[in-house]
Order: sequence, then C-alpha cells, then structure tokens
Amino acid sequence: METKLKSKALDEFIQVASTIANPEIQKWKDNGGKIMGYFCSAMPSELITAAGMLPFRLRATGSTGTELSDSYFSSINCTFPRHAFNMALKGDFDFIDGLVIFNSCDHIRRVYDHWIRQLDTPFVKILSLPKKSGAQQVEWFRSELAILRENMETQFGVKITDDKLKEAIKIHNESRRLLRELYELRKSDNPPITGAQTMAVTVASTAMPPERYNQLLKELLDDVKRAEGNTDYRARLMILGGELDNPEFLKVIEDLGALVVTDSVCFGSRLLWKDVDESIDDPLTALAQYQVNERPSCARMFTEYEKRAEYVHSMLSDFKADGAIFARLTFCEVWGFEQYSMINDFKEWDIPLLCIDHEYTLSGVGQLRTRVQAFLETMGK
Amino acid sequence: MDEKKERSLSRIREELAMYEPVVELLKLEPGEMGHLQLPIVENIVEQHKGTIECVEEGKTFLASQFTNPVEILTAMDVHWYFHIQQLFAASGSGGGLHTDEDLEGADKLNIPRDCCTLIRLGHYLQVAGLYPIPTAYLSITEPCDSIAGWHAAFMHHPDWRNIPVFAPDPPYHTDERAIDYYARQMREMVDFITEHTGQTLDMDRLRETVEETNKGYALWMEYNEIRRSSPTPHSYTLPLSCFFQINTLGAGDPKKTLWYKDIVADAERRVKENKPEFPNQKIRVFWYDIQPFYFGEIVSWLEQEWGGVIAMDMVSYCPYELIDTSTEDSMFQGLAKRAFQHGPMVHQGRGLAENVIYDITRIVKDYKIDCVIFPGHMGHKDMAASSSIMRETCRELGVPFLYIGLDVADHRYTTADEIKDRISQFFTAMGLG
Repeated sequence: METKLKSKALDEFIQVASTIANPEIQKWKDNGGKIMGYFCSAMPSELITAAGMLPFRLRATGSTGTELSDSYFSSINCTFPRHAFNMALKGDFDFIDGLVIFNSCDHIRRVYDHWIRQLDTPFVKILSLPKKSGAQQVEWFRSELAILRENMETQFGVKITDDKLKEAIKIHNESRRLLRELYELRKSDNPPITGAQTMAVTVASTAMPPERYNQLLKELLDDVKRAEGNTDYRARLMILGGELDNPEFLKVIEDLGALVVTDSVCFGSRLLWKDVDESIDDPLTALAQYQVNERPSCARMFTEYEKRAEYVHSMLSDFKADGAIFARLTFCEVWGFEQYSMINDFKEWDIPLLCIDHEYTLSGVGQLRTRVQAFLETMGK
Repeated sequence: MDEKKERSLSRIREELAMYEPVVELLKLEPGEMGHLQLPIVENIVEQHKGTIECVEEGKTFLASQFTNPVEILTAMDVHWYFHIQQLFAASGSGGGLHTDEDLEGADKLNIPRDCCTLIRLGHYLQVAGLYPIPTAYLSITEPCDSIAGWHAAFMHHPDWRNIPVFAPDPPYHTDERAIDYYARQMREMVDFITEHTGQTLDMDRLRETVEETNKGYALWMEYNEIRRSSPTPHSYTLPLSCFFQINTLGAGDPKKTLWYKDIVADAERRVKENKPEFPNQKIRVFWYDIQPFYFGEIVSWLEQEWGGVIAMDMVSYCPYELIDTSTEDSMFQGLAKRAFQHGPMVHQGRGLAENVIYDITRIVKDYKIDCVIFPGHMGHKDMAASSSIMRETCRELGVPFLYIGLDVADHRYTTADEIKDRISQFFTAMGLG
C-alpha cells in the first residue's frame, strides 16, 4: 500500500524499529547512561526509568542466522530466542548493562540459563511471572518487583524511590495515552496510518528514552491528524498473536492491498490499551496489578482466555475489521492452543481468520503473500 | 444414563474388560512377579469401577492431574480420576486398539502439529467426549507451555466451560517464599473442593495419609538405592510403577505401603542371589525423559540386543524428600513442594537448568551410568533448549550423551526402528556393549 503519511517523527520511529543499536541508544550511552535490557511485555519499564536507566526490549531485528546459538538451542525451539541469543553471542547487545528475563515461555526462560553461562552481562535476573490473574498473584509479582528493585539499587548504586516510580508511571502512561490516540485515528473509514507504520511506532516505544519518545509521538500525532487517509485498501484486517516486532511482516500484507487497522500482539495494543493506575498509593502494587490483572493478557495467562476473546472481538468491532490474521511463531505452544480456540470463536462470530505459522525472520515472504492473497480473495475482497 | 455419559465411560469400560481377566489370571497364576503386578492392575480396576459408579449414580467426583496432592483428595474422601491417565492406558493411545484412530483424530483438530502430541491427544479425547465430566476439576498448569495453553483451550470447550475448575499457579523459584505461595494455593484448593463436593478436610486424617505415603516414599527411596547395584534387579515396568502406585486412588492406604515393602524385598533378594529380572546386563542407561507409549518395544530390544538396562529414568527418580507432618503448615509446605518441584517432568521442565545438572550428576555418579539418553520428546521444548547443558554436564562427568528427538505419543514422528538405529550407532561409536 502506498503510504500518504509524511512525517519526520515517523521516519525516526521507523529507523529505531529497524535497528538494534539505534542513534538514541548511542546518544544515551555517550552521555554515560546505563541501559537495562529485558524480554517480554511483562517488564514494568517504569522500574527501569525510575532507576535513571533506559529500558530496552530485546529483539532480533536484522538477524540473519543462528549459527552460534544453534549450539545451545535445538531445532524444535522458537526462532525468536535462537536469533536473539545468536545476536547476544555476537556482541550485538553488549551495550546493555543488565538484563531481566521472565519465565515467559519454555524457550525464553532457557535464554536465561544460557545467558548466565555464556555471557558476562553483570546483572541478569529471572523473575517469576504468574500465569494466572488474582489477588495472590498480584501480591506475588509485587514481591518479585520489590526484590528486583532492591537488586538494581545495589548493583547500580541508585535509589528507586516511590516518588521516582510514580513519576515514571506518569511518563509511561503518557506514552500509552498518546498511542491510544494514534490507534483511535485508525478506527476511521480512511485511517491515515498503516499497520506497518503503527508497528514501527509501538516497537520504538521499547527502544528509546520515554520522554523523547513522547515528544516525537506528539509530533507524529499532529502529522497523522493532518494526513490524508488511506482509501484504496481491499480489506481492513486485525493481526493477532504473540511476539511480532517486524513492521515488514505487516508491510507484506499491506502491499497486497489490505490495511491492518488494529492488533492484539506483544508489541502492539496489549502494551498500551490500559494505563497503570496512578491512584494506587504503592507504585509497585500498581505495577504488579497492571501486569497481572489489568492489561490485556497474553496466551500464557491460562485463566484469561474468555477475556482475551472478548478483547479481540471488541477490537474487531471497534476498528471495523473485515477479518484477521493470526500470526504464530512456529513451535510456540501457548499461542498454538490459543489459535485453536480462536479458530472456533471466529467461526462462531462468522469472521474470516487466516492462521500463519512463521519464523522470526521474514523468510517465507512468497508463501505469506500467496496465503494472504488467497485469504483476501476468499473474503471477496 | 444419557449417550454422552455412556460415551465418556466407553474407554474406561474397555480397559476394565481388559484388566479384570488379568486380575483373575494373576491370582490363579501369579508366577514369580505376580504379587508385585497384581496390586497395580487391581488399583486400575478399582479406580475405574469407582469412576463408573460415580457417573452412573450421579455421585460427586473430581478429575485431577498428577501434580495435585493425592493425600488431600484421599483425606477428603472424594473420588477422582487422573485426567492424563486416560491417555496412557484407557484410550488405547499407548499402543492399543485406538492408537491410530486417536492420533488421526488429534491431527484433525486445528492445533498446530508442532505442539505436544500428548496434549493434542488429550484434547482430542475431550473433543471426542471420552472424559467423564466431573463435578469439579483440579487442573495442572506446569511444567510446560503446552499444559498452560491446553488449560485455556480445555476450559473453553462447551461441555467443560461451566465445570468449576481450580488451577494452581506454580512459581518459577524454589525458595521458601515460593513454597509458601504454592502452599497457600493448596489450602485454596481444599476450600474449592469443599465448596463443590461438600467434603471437608480433617487435619488428623491428612496427617495419617501423609505419614502413610511418607512410608511409601521412604521405601521407594530405599528401592532406588537398591537399584544402584549392578546388575540392577528389575527391568523397567516395576520402577515406573512406583510413581503410579503412590499417586493414585488409595494413596495413604497401608496396602500400598505393603506393595513398596514387597518390591524392596524382591529387589533385595534378587541382588543377594544375583538373579536380576533381566540377566546379562552390559550397559547401564539413564533414560532422561518420560517413556514413550511404545517403550516396551524399545526396552525389550535394548535388553536383548545390547544388554542395555534402564538403570534409572526420570519418572522413577522423583522422591526427593519426605514431608514433615509435625504441623499443619509443614504438611502443606511439604505437599506444595512435592507438587510443584518434585514431580517427574515438573522437576526437570519447570525450573532452572540447575535441576537438570543436579539430576544428571547425581544419577550418573550414584547409578554407575554408562550413558545418558535424552529421548527429547517433541513437546518438551524447554528440555530441548537445555540439551546443550545436559551434554556439557555429561562431558564433564565423562559419560556419553545421546539426544534422539522423538514423540512419546506418536510412533510415526521417529519410528521405533529409527530410534533403535540411533541407539545402536551411538553404542557402537562410544564402544559400549
């Protein structure tokens, strides 16, 4: 799809999303700043921001192989950790001063085991993230965050006060609010921004200083509001799934004439649909509450399927999507079972759904094109 | 009884029809091992009869999973069946009449085929209406992603959507805080059972039950000690039955403890008399995963062709410690620890790679292991991702390591012949046997 949106801010977001060590990272390091890497949306970036560090979510953007990590992972492991760990072994993440990993999935949690054995990052922690919602789970996760806070204070010689945390929550909530504003604009009949462009914007939120991000995002919103909307699309689609951080994946779909109007993916709407509750006095409780109970959950939260289905259904309706594409990384079991349930629900809702199993890197473009093309045709578009 | 209920019992009835004559036969002709085999089969029969009675008469009963403490269920005097057990036996998937039918049925579901076949089969049984629908369900969400993902899909099924379910959340850590977190959930589980069955928990009864299963675990540990001897006293069936015997209906029953006494006595006798169940043992193998449904074929070949014996395996090595029954808290903490840290697969699959290193190091040293075979079930993605750590550990111990890559449920993934070839090539290359 030929984009009509021209925006310097967008160009910067695209640049950040298409690289690992982007210029903002370089600038941060040049100024003596420290960077905390993390895997998984469950990481409260606020904690890192409050420590005066830059939160950076690890991706494997630009990876071309797994030649080094294949010694540690097997051929039945997800290609995301394989590529990410390969990059780590090559030194592509040497700029991070610490790393936080969760027991997010069977593949990522093993990254921790290998990372601590093969790399000398001075601070690497694994946090136990509940797999269900509930008061006990919030309490548990709060204590995990409290331990992390203490460890970070000791390691980096900083004090992460409640006031600093509250300030960080405000900054990150501002990002979420602005992003929701951007998503709102996509509800229109002629959305002025494409799905690929939006993904570049959301990915960038995990790889640059949040204040700078908010400033650029405001500029982008001004540009988007002034831009002419996209009118020449064949169908409005929603993207579902887990780890998906490559705007090029969506561009392939949109180059076929579809327009991705919304999503429920790890680097997408689930990051921003809700705010952390600023009225809760204890900021760590607010963060734990947000991650465990409040924000749209991922498939590993096994008790929350009905809520997720409701979220997807209302997204489809609010964004007037004609259909959806479920993108699953091969070998991902939690999203595999989610896909199964979604297939049944989509049938019930009478909404077309295409399921695509793919590798982390965009290796099967031809097949993706063929399948999306056929899907659009079966939709009569 | 309606058609749905009748269908839900069909595999159980089939299995009952298969095992009841075996009970009679073992009583008539026990042979050398009959006294050890009979209680296992009787237990299955008793369990199935109880489930049938509950469904037929509309009585309260539970479905549960292998990580939930059976001591609590026994002490609360409520009937249950093991959901996953249906896979291994009653469905016939384990190499019986229904194997291919079930695998094909599972393949037809829209679950990606790279997801664990065991779990896909489990889901197929639900879709096919082959699980008796309980009053309430005690679920499992560890050790792997597949289990957690399945739970969400399972509880979305129209027939199960309204069944009350309790699913504990296993923490990733192993410290006191993690144990307390899980122990609190075990107490919640008790409240849940009371709410849905009306049965209450008498702490004295729980203590009695745990003390009795402790005796069983202690004897199981003793049995595992005896298995260190070379030749090892028994082939694979009895060691693998240890987990089943203590974790099914009748947990805490002195009859069960007697079975462990008998197996210890039999093992001791065999060691003293140098009369192992399987003679001419040459290669002591540590089988580090669960056993495939077609394990019988593999092990018979291993024993006859190579003199290979499964000196230890993952399922047999799970009694790590006994439960302190001195206080209510210590009991719940002990039950919690056993449930989320010690179960087979749970110990290896849920936590850090340290568990894997610990197991391999301990077992290789204690059991005079000649080689470690990691079958690498395709559903065990977490273990596949720690296979390099297993290999490194074995290298440091100076013991050969083989990673096969198979599907414990689907013999088509890596056929038994291919597995045998891989093992033969490995033994030859390593100069074993």
